[in-house]
Amino acid sequence: MFKFLAAVKKEYLLLSRDIAGIIILFLMPMVLIIIMSLLQEVGWNAIATEPKLGVLFVNNDQDSLGINMEKGLRNSGFFDVINSVNHLPVTAESARAAVKKGDYLIAIVVPKGVTKSMRANVRIAVAKTLSGFGMYNPMLLNNIAQKEADTVTLFFDPTIRKAFKNAVVSSIKEFNYRSETGMVFRSFNAEMSKQFPAYKPADIEYKESLQFKEVFPNYKEQEEIPTTVQHNVPAWAIFAMFFIIIPLTGSMIKEREEGSLARLMSMPVSYIHLLLAKVTVYFFVCLVQTFLMIFSGIFILPLFHIPMLIIGNHIIALTLLTIVTALAALGYGLLVGTIANTHQQAAAFGAVSIIILAAIGGIWVPVYLMPTIMRHVAVISPLNWAITGFYNIFLRQGGLITILPSAIKLLAFFLAAVLITYIYRKIKSPINQ
Amino acid sequence: MAEDPIIEIKNLSKRYKGSEESALKDITLDIYPLEIYGLLGPNGAGKTTTISILCGLIAPTGGEVRIDGFNLRNELDRIKQVIGIVPQDIALYPTLTALENLTFFGNMFGLKGKSLKDLILDHLTVFGLERFAMKKISSFSGGMKRRVNLIAGLLHDPKILFLDEPTAGIDVQSKIVILEFLHEINRKGTTIIYTSHYMEEAENLCSRVSIIDRGILVSTGNPKELVASHPEFKNLENLFLHLTGKGLRD
Repeated sequence: MFKFLAAVKKEYLLLSRDIAGIIILFLMPMVLIIIMSLLQEVGWNAIATEPKLGVLFVNNDQDSLGINMEKGLRNSGFFDVINSVNHLPVTAESARAAVKKGDYLIAIVVPKGVTKSMRANVRIAVAKTLSGFGMYNPMLLNNIAQKEADTVTLFFDPTIRKAFKNAVVSSIKEFNYRSETGMVFRSFNAEMSKQFPAYKPADIEYKESLQFKEVFPNYKEQEEIPTTVQHNVPAWAIFAMFFIIIPLTGSMIKEREEGSLARLMSMPVSYIHLLLAKVTVYFFVCLVQTFLMIFSGIFILPLFHIPMLIIGNHIIALTLLTIVTALAALGYGLLVGTIANTHQQAAAFGAVSIIILAAIGGIWVPVYLMPTIMRHVAVISPLNWAITGFYNIFLRQGGLITILPSAIKLLAFFLAAVLITYIYRKIKSPINQ
Repeated sequence: MAEDPIIEIKNLSKRYKGSEESALKDITLDIYPLEIYGLLGPNGAGKTTTISILCGLIAPTGGEVRIDGFNLRNELDRIKQVIGIVPQDIALYPTLTALENLTFFGNMFGLKGKSLKDLILDHLTVFGLERFAMKKISSFSGGMKRRVNLIAGLLHDPKILFLDEPTAGIDVQSKIVILEFLHEINRKGTTIIYTSHYMEEAENLCSRVSIIDRGILVSTGNPKELVASHPEFKNLENLFLHLTGKGLRD
């Protein structure tokens, strides 16, 4: 125990003398979390927050559909509808050019006569419907030909997110359906009035018969709306914990290259004790890192108008999950540091493998957004086990029981990594054990 | 030599993985208590490999080694209690002070507290480094580092001390201090096994030497007797060149 504590003290001293390393270990993850949260929060919520998105709107129709569409876009609160650029009315050509240049992300061109065409088609549909009741009126169809569907042209910047593009298209389709529905009502009433002079159209205000309620079920049974912060803070905290592989393997390989390890191996001390001393110091580094990340989520992110991280009430579950995640990260670091021959090997393999494990594990992109095959692959990543556990605490307000599957897998990963490290060392240099 | 050898090496061989040639071929030699034993040879002769095997840092391919009566293969833990090693590299932590380095290595032998600190300061004083106890190793000159490197290997007063080129690349003053100290601890009971490229140094320091070349033991004996038995060579260096040749080594 005394030798172990002496080795811990040595590791602590070595780490504390590396000021640049400490800054990287503690400050960089905090900067990362702030930047990623800012980027994602603004990006994902662009529609719902100021400033509104500028949309060029060319209304060549100048009739009810074009007018309603423009009115609907303005009233949505999401868009800033722009009809002129440089004091000139925007045209289809200038709108296309402006989007092509990247000055605007979206332009909408409503063609001339689209309302007229729609109205004609509605009248034909109404006439055909009434003829089924024996109220066929040939005059109704005089000089009216079925029109082909008109085309509303949408210009999109190539960088626009697919989901955002779909949201815009859906909004426009919705305005179109509403206009068409209104026309059907009005046309039907008009025709009924002609057929039955006594008919008085009811003053019907059309209301949508379906309403939508958004619920995010969690273990607290309270409706708390998740924010990107609830994903970002744990995701990047996990990423930072696993990136401990760089300083950890660096420390191991430096000790080996400088000859200190060889000297230690000639002394009555076991390799595992020396490794565990490293694990102990870097374990506390991981805990402090996570604490700082959570601190950032609660106190620093709100300074940037980003929602505050809500950690819930399950501090024991959070602590346990942080501990096993740190152990898993350290176990991986020990394994890579033992197998790698050079600092370059360890740094390159360590960094790239963590980035890959983070990517497939749902740290960068949530797993549900991945293709089916990648969703199956995600479960092999320890970072995925960790983020799943953190989701249970931060998003679903789950407690100890809910994180146990993740915690067990992470702990098993740590033990397996240490065991493989020990066996590898024994095989490579049996006399040293 | 009436006493039992403190180190017995029988048919020791070593072939590194991927290498076509053996680094050591059937080395057999005995080293007796209180000897200062020199392992001499050109670069790549097998000196460091021999010491690394004796210290348990690498496994031999074949042969038997007993150190202070303990078998290297299955009693390494016992052997580690009685040996000290001063490696060729400066095996210290550059960002720790001399005192922190030596305290840590002393702790690894179970030494602790005030007695360890006093021991360290005594050694630093002997080597003229007491003023630098609290300075980081990275700020030391090459000679100062070598001296601290030496102290780290002998704080626990080992029965057998292995030194791999302890005077390589240092000034004459540092070399004299180190060699005098080695004589001193040898007189007090430490057996020393030492490798060097400096023939004159070995001739003066060692009670016996073995010349190794390409993993083979070429000659063994008291350096002065070896030279005397070959009257055509005026010193150990000439004899060494005769035995190992003048060709450059990797």
